[in-house]
Amino acid sequence: MPLIKVNDLVKEYTVIKKGKGLKGALKSLLHKEKEILRAVNHISFSIQHGEIVGYIGPNGAGKSTTVKMLSGILSPTSGEILIDGLSPQKDRKRVVQNLGVVFGQRSQLNWDLRLGESFELLKRIYRIDDRQYQENLAMMDAILEIHKFIHTPVRQLSLGQRMRGDLAAAMLHSPQVLFLDEPTIGLDVDGKQAIRKFVKEINRLKQTTVILTTHDLGDIQELCSRLIIISEGTIVEDGSLSDLIDRIAPYRILHVELYEEAELPIHPLAEKIRQDGTAAVYRFDKKKVTAAQLIEDLSCFCKMKDFRLEEARIEDIIRAAYHKKEKLEGV
Amino acid sequence: MRPYLYIAKVRMLSALAYRFDVLSSIVIQCLAVIASCFFWIAAYGNQQAALGVTRDQMLTYTVMSSTLACLLTMNVENRIAASVQKGSVALDLLKPVNIFGIYLWEDIGSVAIAFLQNAVPLLLIGALFIVAPVPASAAHFLLFILSAAFSYMINWLIAALFGMWSFRIVRIFPLLCMKGHMIRLLSGSVIPLWFFPQWLQTVLSFLPFRYIYQLPLSVYIGILSPRETAAQMGIQFIWILLLGCLFFEIKKGVTRHLLVQGG
Repeated sequence: MPLIKVNDLVKEYTVIKKGKGLKGALKSLLHKEKEILRAVNHISFSIQHGEIVGYIGPNGAGKSTTVKMLSGILSPTSGEILIDGLSPQKDRKRVVQNLGVVFGQRSQLNWDLRLGESFELLKRIYRIDDRQYQENLAMMDAILEIHKFIHTPVRQLSLGQRMRGDLAAAMLHSPQVLFLDEPTIGLDVDGKQAIRKFVKEINRLKQTTVILTTHDLGDIQELCSRLIIISEGTIVEDGSLSDLIDRIAPYRILHVELYEEAELPIHPLAEKIRQDGTAAVYRFDKKKVTAAQLIEDLSCFCKMKDFRLEEARIEDIIRAAYHKKEKLEGV
Repeated sequence: MRPYLYIAKVRMLSALAYRFDVLSSIVIQCLAVIASCFFWIAAYGNQQAALGVTRDQMLTYTVMSSTLACLLTMNVENRIAASVQKGSVALDLLKPVNIFGIYLWEDIGSVAIAFLQNAVPLLLIGALFIVAPVPASAAHFLLFILSAAFSYMINWLIAALFGMWSFRIVRIFPLLCMKGHMIRLLSGSVIPLWFFPQWLQTVLSFLPFRYIYQLPLSVYIGILSPRETAAQMGIQFIWILLLGCLFFEIKKGVTRHLLVQGG
């Protein structure tokens, strides 16, 4: 049975349309024009125990709305969510007991307290027993090195430290599911690395299921064994990154440079796009022929000085997926 | 129970984090109570009693009213309004506890701190410079404690009910402001209602406000007969039940329409 099951989920918001300028603002005081926005439009997916899933999409695609519905904060307009067999809306308290949530843009730590005191509060709120609390704290310390600032008031922590504190706080009660909403936002390279290491480690050590929304390509490449891509409220992709690359950008480009001008042949498995004097460009399907084979074949005809392989950039592939393009142009 | 008690403790710890805040609020409250006591001294002039209340009883009433006001400071309404506006209500909802339980126990933590930080200094200042605010008798004192606890519940429920509006309306501060002034005026906290015209007193006896301040304070200074005390505390209790039912009824629907601001 999947750990998380989402079936035909819809969320609509009613927004009040405001006219332009002062006139519009005055008018909307008297007469409200309502508009229904569908933030999440009939999405379905299921996630198995122990997966790390990247839930990605452009800003405003409905990612955070979905995460909020999954964690029981928002009620869906229609559709069904089950987390370990329970509905987060009907059984909020029982579901959140098994859930860790970290928002990159807001902290659950108490501003006025020291980090350790915030942990103590969470220990009481989640009714964590002493042994488990000490074990988890030790594990979090080993991964995140929080002992360095555990006695510092939260308001004095740097963003990177605060984020590490927030991650540790979310894992103290050993939840089975962890939602990370843009966890690396605004962090430096070391900070990002620490968070990625954390996600990998808890997934390995505790088999925690992680759902991660992010705009960071490094997060996607390093962490996510599976990507669910949402655009304008609907799921446009669901699969691994390598499958996505194979489908959207199946080609590689080979740039060849010759010692002297010579007409390069047409290869049966690669398309010659152009040749300008000593420089030529081939495009080939990486599943049909390897780069090594192609270079070997071509070098029978001429003397190669240099070559360079070009692959579609992950960024372009993700962007193509956001715009629901079947194939990446250019490459 | 344990998580809620700890929430109260955390609230106390955070209240102690800002020392300037503490000192300035003590000074402001002492000035306010001294000013209103001088108002009553001036108003009484040479008279020893007005409408059956002696000058010393009136001064005791005023000092105790300010003390009670420190203890009845509710944060729930602003807490909900601010966390809805900033979107941090999401974080409260992610805890496996009742969110109104969190708000109630935070307020109870605040009361404990307000007692030490504000009420005690205020009583001392009152006793030193105005009048020793002694209760009519030990029995009156105990009844006052019970009635003040009821007042707390009424006041908290009203505050929570107003706070729940902010799940629907994003800018609620003007409404909360209006509510604060209404309670101050209509509960007898500044001017006892027996100085009000008869028709207004009749109207106010059908509203919960007078049971927040005037009832416990009147019990304290001993101007109510045992029968009046019993009857009014009965009504006070009925108000708790009424507001409590309303609270639970509205609470059911309110989180369903929750607005969480920001991405």
